[in-house]
Amino acid sequence: MPTVKQLDAAVLEMLEKSLVCEFTVVSPTGRPITHPLLPLYDSEEGRLFVTSSVLFSKKLDHIKKNPKVSALFSKREGAQVSQCRAVLVKGNARVDEADVHHGWERLLPLWRKKEPYIDNFVKMRYALPLFWERSIIEIEPSKVYVWPEGDANAAPKVLEVS
Amino acid sequence: MVANSLLEKAASYSDVAISFVDDDGYPFSLSVTVEVDQENQTVRIAKPASLPSLLNREISLTFNHITPLPVGGYTDRRYIVLWGRLTDQGDSYQLKPAKGYIWDEKEVPFFQYSEMKVTKARQYLNELKEKPWLSTPWLIMRTFRLPFVIATILPVAIGAAVAFRAGHFDLTLFALTLAGALLLHLGVNTANDYFDSRLGADDINTTPTPYSGGSRVIQYGLLPGTAVLSLSTSAYLAGSLIGLYLALTRGLPVLLIGLVGLVVSWGYTAPPLKLAYRGLGELAVGLGFGPLLVLGSFFVQAQTVSIEAGLVSIPLGLLVMLILYVNEVPDRTWDDEAGKKTFVSRMSEDSIVKGYELAMASVYGVILLGSITRIFPLTVLLALLTVPMAVKEARLIGRNLGNTYGLVVAMSSNIKIFVYTALFMLIGYLISFFVAV
Repeated sequence: MPTVKQLDAAVLEMLEKSLVCEFTVVSPTGRPITHPLLPLYDSEEGRLFVTSSVLFSKKLDHIKKNPKVSALFSKREGAQVSQCRAVLVKGNARVDEADVHHGWERLLPLWRKKEPYIDNFVKMRYALPLFWERSIIEIEPSKVYVWPEGDANAAPKVLEVS
Repeated sequence: MVANSLLEKAASYSDVAISFVDDDGYPFSLSVTVEVDQENQTVRIAKPASLPSLLNREISLTFNHITPLPVGGYTDRRYIVLWGRLTDQGDSYQLKPAKGYIWDEKEVPFFQYSEMKVTKARQYLNELKEKPWLSTPWLIMRTFRLPFVIATILPVAIGAAVAFRAGHFDLTLFALTLAGALLLHLGVNTANDYFDSRLGADDINTTPTPYSGGSRVIQYGLLPGTAVLSLSTSAYLAGSLIGLYLALTRGLPVLLIGLVGLVVSWGYTAPPLKLAYRGLGELAVGLGFGPLLVLGSFFVQAQTVSIEAGLVSIPLGLLVMLILYVNEVPDRTWDDEAGKKTFVSRMSEDSIVKGYELAMASVYGVILLGSITRIFPLTVLLALLTVPMAVKEARLIGRNLGNTYGLVVAMSSNIKIFVYTALFMLIGYLISFFVAV
């Protein structure tokens, strides 16, 4: 079983360069709840993260009750990639809240690549302090679906990953 | 059933993803092509051939939009989520949404959107047994609203400058006056926060700005209300002790000025006076930051009062009053709801701008009058350099009356008008010490 790092380079490019992914959690009633979020893929470690401010903590509550999540990478306008593909990552999410004040700062290098102005906002933490109380959500992928041409009618290539 | 306006907006999005819970219990999403039928309030979804049947499952459709920026990152965020169950239409599905949700940052700016979630965020942090973090210097800055102390520094300095012109100046007395006045200002800022929280005006306000809606330290859970009250009473106590010393050494009128200052500033928001809630807040601020500070500072130096000190305090009082006046504009709905009857909460949009123009005309009128009659040195006329800023400001306020975040620029430039006008008056006095005018 390949690891995430061993996936096709074009797939990893989608994970690394997409500005937005559709991150979906499951509510206790079984309803899919989707949030467009900024995905942060650490290509060195092969780990996929999103973060959530405590201001928007409902998804965190859902994950704690049911860790099954997915993230869809498919936006042509958001992803500065050479070819548009659609990639869906299914996996279990782990919420890291060991340090909601500063823990997420370790992801700033990845965040900066997507939003180069982010440091200016971080410096203005005093303006909206609760926004910078953040939980890290790490997605541990179990299955990856790839539609090489981004065509939803074509059968996806399904890969189990560890 | 969801509002038609939601579907109308959904029709303008190009990026749409369908999500459902797959047989393995994990959510599954895929981009789809949709057509919104506003008349029948339905959405037609082209069946993706790669998916199993989605009938008998609850699905969601996420309509997402961002505009990538050339420098990286994105702006113009908005998204809509619709939920419901699908019916089969042959080569397509039909969704009659049962529930929907929208966030469009053009309609609900991000700051307001965040403010609307503060209560939930605090509950979440409580469950984690955490409190929000802010570095100590920023916490002090935020709690005391330190940048606003310029509204105390300049009137006290001008009062002392008028005294200097009359041949009286002692640096230690000036430092003590300034310290006492600053402490009282910090006291009123924190008392205002505490009582506005207790009376509800700050709690219901979901559109605070850096200049309005209070410091938010209580609302964000950065400090408990009791700590803010303790800071306030400590500042008042320390300021009053300095005032008492000055009254004993310089004369009882200092005590009178100080007592009026105490009553007006504490009673600005605190019961039973609650001056700000009775439409008297602006007058209280004008009196406090104008005549009381200038005459107090002058008296400490000269041990008397003068027409010049009284007259020069009027434009300063009006200018600080106008800071409050403009800052109250975005708060007027919330203030009204909390029973806080500020000037602007009782005025029509037209009269808000006219009121501003009238007060600014009075500011410049007094400066002109005082200078022409040679009560002030002619060099104080330098303050008229800010007239073009004030003209522009009136237009800016008029253009942004219904736009809280547009008003932030107006609030900021209005504070600059006070600072520059007062600073030019002070410079005018300083020049007059060296040049006979």
